Amino acid sequence: MTTLALPTLALDGLLRSMADDEFVVGFTDSEWTGIAPLLEEDIAMSSLSQDELGHATALYGLLAELTGGDADGLAYDREPADYRHARLLDHGRGDWALTMARRYVYETADAVRLEALVGGRWSPLADLVAKIVREERYHLMHVEAWLDRLANGGADTHGRLTAALAELGPDAGTVFTPLPDEPALIDAGVLAAPMRDLEDRWRAAIGPTFARLGLPSIPPTIDPDQGRTDHGAAFDWLWSEFTMVRGSDVGATW
Amino acid sequence: MTGKRGAASAPAPAPAIEAWEVFRQEKDGDPMRHGGSVMAPDAELAAHYARELFGRRQESVRLWIVRRGDVVDLDDPDLLQPPLDRSFKKPGGYVMRDKLAAARAASGQAKPKARSR
Repeated sequence: MTTLALPTLALDGLLRSMADDEFVVGFTDSEWTGIAPLLEEDIAMSSLSQDELGHATALYGLLAELTGGDADGLAYDREPADYRHARLLDHGRGDWALTMARRYVYETADAVRLEALVGGRWSPLADLVAKIVREERYHLMHVEAWLDRLANGGADTHGRLTAALAELGPDAGTVFTPLPDEPALIDAGVLAAPMRDLEDRWRAAIGPTFARLGLPSIPPTIDPDQGRTDHGAAFDWLWSEFTMVRGSDVGATW
Repeated sequence: MTGKRGAASAPAPAPAIEAWEVFRQEKDGDPMRHGGSVMAPDAELAAHYARELFGRRQESVRLWIVRRGDVVDLDDPDLLQPPLDRSFKKPGGYVMRDKLAAARAASGQAKPKARSR
């Protein structure tokens, strides 16, 4: 940390977006527990989801230290409209191809975002990101293996993957929705580059893979400034699922 | 275990899923021990699944993943359990302890410590 004053409000926005992303993707993917395509994949997917929820816990913990409150309250006690995850994650579980397409888009985007944070000057976040990066390396390997297999698995799997990417495409870039007071994060040395630049880096990084696998390239984001709001019915349902147990006995100690 | 849930149309023939044997090392210097097996269509996914089943709780520092078909399997009773008495090949009844102690005393060497686990 330097003598620069912490841009608390901007950090709040950054941590909230990252934590909500990890929480929502982890919870959505955990819905495959028990019904994944084969037993080993079932265990792998459940374990990956737990990793994401673990990242969310750590990020909510940082946010709680910064602004008060606690990680559980941040995760469970907000109204659906107050979550700041990317709209990419608002498409419901879908079939296996949709889940893998979403994971691929999210993991590759998250990797670019993490890279822009890992050397940051706010050490609590930079240290956490350095640990998260090491786990995400495996997540990326796992989903790249699946993208290859779906793209090269014949007309059925290629068709499903293409359809999934067509559905997600207009929301794919929303991981890079500009953050509130983003310039303050860059001035403070927390974030290395604006989200718009990171989005360009991400598109350049995945372009060759999509070309090699014969997949349609990702279109421009629709309504990019609303990329972390306006979540819709699929998230309302997911929210009702993940708040159900906590809501059943408000204030209980679990 | 190969069922495709939610498949609306006839799926393409699934790749053959086969067994892979997984050996794990608990910490540096330990021998590789058989941990179990995973089912997977290829080596890459077998490695991912082995990692999840035998390494996700940080219980391993190394895994060997071997296609079961590549294992040299030997269970021929004529080779392993021959019918004649072979008890004379066993070391029982031949006590080394006193001879070893005498040899050590003669050479001035201490008894080596038990190997650390």
